[in-house]
Amino acid sequence: MHAMPTTPGTRSGTMQADHRRYGRAGLRRELIGAVCLAAVLGAAALSGPAAAYTLTLAPASPKTLYLQIGVGSFTANYNAGGQPGNNTTVNMVSTTVAAGAVGNGTPQAMTTDSTATKSFLDGYAYCSVPGQLYIGGFYRTAGGTTAAAQVTATVPAALTNATGNTIPFSKIQWTSSGNGDAGAEPFPAGTFVNGGVQNVGAMASNTWNESCWTFSYLNNTVPAAGTFTGVVRYTMSSP
Amino acid sequence: MKIAGRAARPPAAFFLAAALTIIWTGAAQGKSTPIDDSGTQALEPAVSLRWKSPRPTRSGGDNLMVGTATIRVRINVLPWVRRSGRIYLVLPAQQPGPVSASWETQGRFMPGQVRSGNRVLVYAGPITTPFMEDVFKFQFSVDGNLVQRAFPLTYRFEMDEG
Repeated sequence: MHAMPTTPGTRSGTMQADHRRYGRAGLRRELIGAVCLAAVLGAAALSGPAAAYTLTLAPASPKTLYLQIGVGSFTANYNAGGQPGNNTTVNMVSTTVAAGAVGNGTPQAMTTDSTATKSFLDGYAYCSVPGQLYIGGFYRTAGGTTAAAQVTATVPAALTNATGNTIPFSKIQWTSSGNGDAGAEPFPAGTFVNGGVQNVGAMASNTWNESCWTFSYLNNTVPAAGTFTGVVRYTMSSP
Repeated sequence: MKIAGRAARPPAAFFLAAALTIIWTGAAQGKSTPIDDSGTQALEPAVSLRWKSPRPTRSGGDNLMVGTATIRVRINVLPWVRRSGRIYLVLPAQQPGPVSASWETQGRFMPGQVRSGNRVLVYAGPITTPFMEDVFKFQFSVDGNLVQRAFPLTYRFEMDEG
């Protein structure tokens, strides 16, 4: 009996019973092994395709530019949700030189017909009229570390009167300040060129920029009598 | 006969021990395992970034852009079923720079916030189902000065066992 265990079907009942018990145990072991191996492989296989999720984030706010020289338009102060509007007003800066003072070298203060004193950012009383002309605005853009928006003035060669006499635009200059300001102005002091385009300031992206200009006529020459006018156009350009 | 039979086949204990050794080794190392999230779906194709505050300030510095996204998260946690684990949301450091994310959920996972380069716990406890799902309402924040164009943002979930 004990010499015949490897011959199936020849076992006694006892041996068959033993064999069956062994057979079940062997099957169980194999299943356990298979299950465990499958579990390990399964874990490896399932962790294989694990991925990260990728979204696309895209800037959607439009690039926005606002430039105001003199009066401007806002539906309300910007910090109260106001939005900028278009204002086509052309403000004037002027002076009248007394006959006895013409060409005496004493600069003549110029005044403006602009009524803009408050910043549309927050309503702060920034400029004083009629002595100062407000200039301000903002440049809102994403990726703003690239460059600032530039503000330029397109200046005629001269102011002219009705008879064609001229005064060079370079006879007009301005200083720059603002109530409560300290430090450099975004639109600094300067003098007009005699015809051409000149830079009068820059707006770093995502900042509100403003200054108050005080103009003066140099009054160091004696032009012909008359009323001399000229129009300077300001332009803001973003990168 | 019984002795010979046992010698011919590895004992059950061997298989069990081997398997447990493999699994236990993984846990003992404190390894974080990325979780398959291939079933996740975004409800919007892209996240639109807008200024958090539309107005600039005199000094600048208020340049945060924010965008929201609703994402139906579905992660495959089958390998950890009937075990306990801690699931983290990982926001790797990536271009164009620091990004913050905050989110609300419907309760399967915890709400929270994370800054890129970090991870935050969103679930701790038993893993009882092969998949875990929730709807995440994300808000992403990034410095607008860094955003020159659309960019990809990647996050993942990972499992710490035990």
